[in-house]
Amino acid sequence: MLRFVRRMALISCSMALLLACVGALFVAALLQRGTAAAQPAPTRIVYGLTLLPSGFDPHINASSELGIPLRSVYDTLVYRDPNTKDFVPGLAERWEISPDGLTYTFYLKQGVRFHDGEVFDAFAVAKNLDRITAPETRSQKALFLLGPFERYIVPDANTIQLVLRAPFTPLLDGLAQVYLGMASPKALAEYDRDRYQLHQVGTGPYQMVDYIPGDYMLLRRNPAYTWGPSFYQKDNPAPVEEIEFRFFTDPATRAPALESGAAQIMGEIPALDAIAIARRPDLRLVTQAIPGLPLQFLLNTTQPPLDRGEVRRALLAATDRQGIVDAVFQQFSPVAYGPLSASSPFYEPRVRDFYPYNRDQAKKVLADLNYTDTDSDGVLDLNGQPLRLTMIVPSWGNAPAVAQKIQSQWREIGVELTLKQVPNLAGLLTATKEEYHLVAFNDFGVDPSLLNRFYLSDAPNNLSRVVNTNLDQWLRRATETLDPAERAALYTQIQALIMDQGLVLPIRDYVNLNGYSTIVDGLAFDAYGWFPLLPNLRYVGSGRLGN
Amino acid sequence: MSGWVARRIVTAGLTVWVAVSLAFIVLRLLPGDAISAQLALSGATEGQIAERRAALGLDEPPLTQYLTMIGGLLQGDLGWSLVTGRPVSQMIAEQVWPTVGLAAAALMVAVLVGIGLALGAVFGGPFVRPVAALITLILMASPIYWTGTLAIYLFSVALGWLPSAGSITDVRAWVLPVAVLGLSVAGGLSRVIGSELTHLRGADFVCTAYAKGLPRRVVAVRHVLRAGLGGAVTLITLQAGYLLGGAVVTETLFVRRGLGGVLLGAVNTQDYPVIQGLVVFNAIVYSVVTTFGDLVGAAIDPRLREPQA
Amino acid sequence: MRRRRTARLALLLIALLCLIGPSLAPYNPLDDVGESLAPPSRDHPFGTDLIGRDVLSRVLHGGRRTLGTAALAILIAIVPGLLVGLSVGYVGGAADRAALILIDAVSAVPSLLIALCVVALLGGGPTQIAVAVGIAGIPVYTRLARGAARGLRGALYIEAARAAGAGRLYILWRCILPNAAPTLISGGTVLLAWSLLNAATLYFLGFGGDPALPEWGAMLAEARSVLRAAPHVALAPGAALMGTLASVIAAGDAPTNPC
Repeated sequence: MLRFVRRMALISCSMALLLACVGALFVAALLQRGTAAAQPAPTRIVYGLTLLPSGFDPHINASSELGIPLRSVYDTLVYRDPNTKDFVPGLAERWEISPDGLTYTFYLKQGVRFHDGEVFDAFAVAKNLDRITAPETRSQKALFLLGPFERYIVPDANTIQLVLRAPFTPLLDGLAQVYLGMASPKALAEYDRDRYQLHQVGTGPYQMVDYIPGDYMLLRRNPAYTWGPSFYQKDNPAPVEEIEFRFFTDPATRAPALESGAAQIMGEIPALDAIAIARRPDLRLVTQAIPGLPLQFLLNTTQPPLDRGEVRRALLAATDRQGIVDAVFQQFSPVAYGPLSASSPFYEPRVRDFYPYNRDQAKKVLADLNYTDTDSDGVLDLNGQPLRLTMIVPSWGNAPAVAQKIQSQWREIGVELTLKQVPNLAGLLTATKEEYHLVAFNDFGVDPSLLNRFYLSDAPNNLSRVVNTNLDQWLRRATETLDPAERAALYTQIQALIMDQGLVLPIRDYVNLNGYSTIVDGLAFDAYGWFPLLPNLRYVGSGRLGN
Repeated sequence: MSGWVARRIVTAGLTVWVAVSLAFIVLRLLPGDAISAQLALSGATEGQIAERRAALGLDEPPLTQYLTMIGGLLQGDLGWSLVTGRPVSQMIAEQVWPTVGLAAAALMVAVLVGIGLALGAVFGGPFVRPVAALITLILMASPIYWTGTLAIYLFSVALGWLPSAGSITDVRAWVLPVAVLGLSVAGGLSRVIGSELTHLRGADFVCTAYAKGLPRRVVAVRHVLRAGLGGAVTLITLQAGYLLGGAVVTETLFVRRGLGGVLLGAVNTQDYPVIQGLVVFNAIVYSVVTTFGDLVGAAIDPRLREPQA
Repeated sequence: MRRRRTARLALLLIALLCLIGPSLAPYNPLDDVGESLAPPSRDHPFGTDLIGRDVLSRVLHGGRRTLGTAALAILIAIVPGLLVGLSVGYVGGAADRAALILIDAVSAVPSLLIALCVVALLGGGPTQIAVAVGIAGIPVYTRLARGAARGLRGALYIEAARAAGAGRLYILWRCILPNAAPTLISGGTVLLAWSLLNAATLYFLGFGGDPALPEWGAMLAEARSVLRAAPHVALAPGAALMGTLASVIAAGDAPTNPC
């Protein structure tokens, strides 16, 4: 017995000793390392990212998360003005589009250099295009932004022409996105496809200093930067010298990180936490609308009873969207009324007229269709079939909370909604191969051509399974014509048709809730909504500093 | 002794092989894979998706893929991630030390606290005993994601003593995660050690009782003791295995990099080679830890040593 | 001793409550009956959650699902674990070595992966989580049973029984099982607690299937996101879950007086 106790005492003493040794080793390692991380420059802040993307190479990966730091590492040929969404010069000081829409000529700025000293010119652009279009690169987004791109022509060192197989209006929009950012050909040649993301070199206002996957990415200001677009602040008196990006994937950790000083800027703060943040004197809140598709549920038009338009319309009318937004998103999000958010170009305001909340109307419509509760179980039936619907719900974006609200609302008119939550994207795609009535899905972007991925009859994400020749025709024409008036008219028709057919149940326009410490000022975002204008951040210096 | 060690190595090798084969089978049963998911989202057509999969060898018959994988394993090659294309061994090497460090430190905290609580629960005075028992109970009954959240709110947000997230080079950022993970294991450990202590205490009386000629059953209790002790060591080594799993939640909560994040990411994107690589790694670590545990167990109880009569 | 009895009583009470709970609940657990995140009041003794549902009703309904999941999980883990573990622990030899390899191999596959596969193949939900947790628990319990059987192997009375001509099954059933019982029961309760916790964690990670169905672990995970605005939402499910866990653990305490 005593022997046992003695043995236990021995174990605990050795454990304590081990812990002390490890602790000492640690401190020693810390002192020895002397990396940038251990000796922060005075103006360094921590910026919280929210998603851990599978990769950080803009030419390869599709996540919008990677753009938050990398938008400032790379420049693009053109930019979109954050307020007007017009195209403004970037690395290209002017451009011409041939009348047939097949040839784009870009006249490049001169005197631009990459972070490693290489000269930026048309040959560099060519190398980038080569990389993006190469099959070995396996590009997940950049390649598709180029559309029917066929080849390039380099007439001289400062001019490059892109030749398309067919007219493609969204090309300029694609060229304004970080995925088509210009990387240094020297770096591209030096590192292979997979290693380049750890050593990225662009021409932007910040350069990448260090990147440890899953841990952090460090950017440092590029003092030689003078060729930015018009909306990058030219004479920033106190720019932030270093920005460290860390990943906060669990929503509940974001606000505490801001409050404890572990981060100075944080995106995607949950609505309830945002209220608390806004109340603190040392923190501020910035709400940023994100153009593109709103948080929405697509209705499967091939799955009975949703194959009947009247049923779909009744369900849309039975949804109190304002109530959902108030409960789940507090006062931070506007209700969505159509397939595009209100902040998207070519948004048709008249979609607001579709489906105002009218529960009695919905009940009446269903009753007129002979839906009655024959067995008094609270669920409507028709010919013995209860009105039971399945909804696939992703785990992100507050979708589960929204879905549960919809569920309780529809129960009041006698519709039973079963929710199927999927933990990740792969699960969602699998689930859509089986039976479902509704599924939550959306995407972001400025050019409404992203509707094509959801509503063209042969689109891979056509989750409402719609096959409508008018819709197909209009969507295709809208990406071919260069006439803005014609585009506007087409998108008006498209949005009206989508809502009239009841293909989608829009819930709320995406609003990104960003919190930041009063140590910095001037947090603003670009036209796409997600990407901060880092060169415009000013280091002001009050508030709590993280470690 | 060396024969025993050699046999353990062979056993470990077999374990790794069975584990990775199990993982392979189970993963192939899953519909879809990383490529289809990624590309479907960015707007590729079915044809382009099929092209990509063929290029990566994903459409070869399962047996061929299996043999390729095993062949690679024998050469120490864990394959390449379907999503990033980087070598899996490199991905694991990058992220292994924070997790191992977290698990090791947490285990040490767990053993310290566990022994302390057990001693308090068995030998403490009339005040200490129920308090220790209560603390043990609370520790065993709390999910990590909950205690972690409360700890963050208390120590980071309200009191501001410790960061809620931070670089792994920052010592202060280790305190909360190690404490939370360690305490979550300490409860169970303390209970096992405590029951051993009480048994042993009883055994003293048993000894004298037996000398007085009490029935066989009393002697049987002593053997239960031995069995229990062996079980205790087993449970302790199992806690080590659980710790690696608990690291997933802890790393998410405290925003630390590590294998937990790698596993979660690979699971969410169906990145088979990474998952398989992690299974291999886990199997190796597991074998090492359990071998160590068996050694300790055999040292305590000669009956547990091999070969057995 | 007294603590164990109180714990067992508490467990019985909890089980009873779970059985009749749904009929005691004042509201439908899925219905939006009040304001979102309302504090406790006469109408809603534990307040309402984000969707506006009555927390008390959800807790009363959720007990069945929580305990059912855990019970199913330990059933899946204990039955094969006991049979295989005791047998190979007693018999030893090649069967034991093979079993050990298999146990370690299954343990080496992360339980997260097992859970994902189960969910991907069978969909998400309490049953699927139970299956996943149960499968992950099989090697744990097998090891425990094996360890217990091995320790008892060399006992005098077993040798005596063997000398008297008793068959293996008889020895397993009559000698090993009863004498290993305290360890097995104690380990079983730890496994139950472990299953409850593991299941709660799987809900936290998003494998729960239908997020609207009340379940204590899922409710606790949800309560995290509204912790700041409405800390009371965590009170009821947290107390229920931890209370059950504590009772389970205390009830399985090995006897303090061996004589």
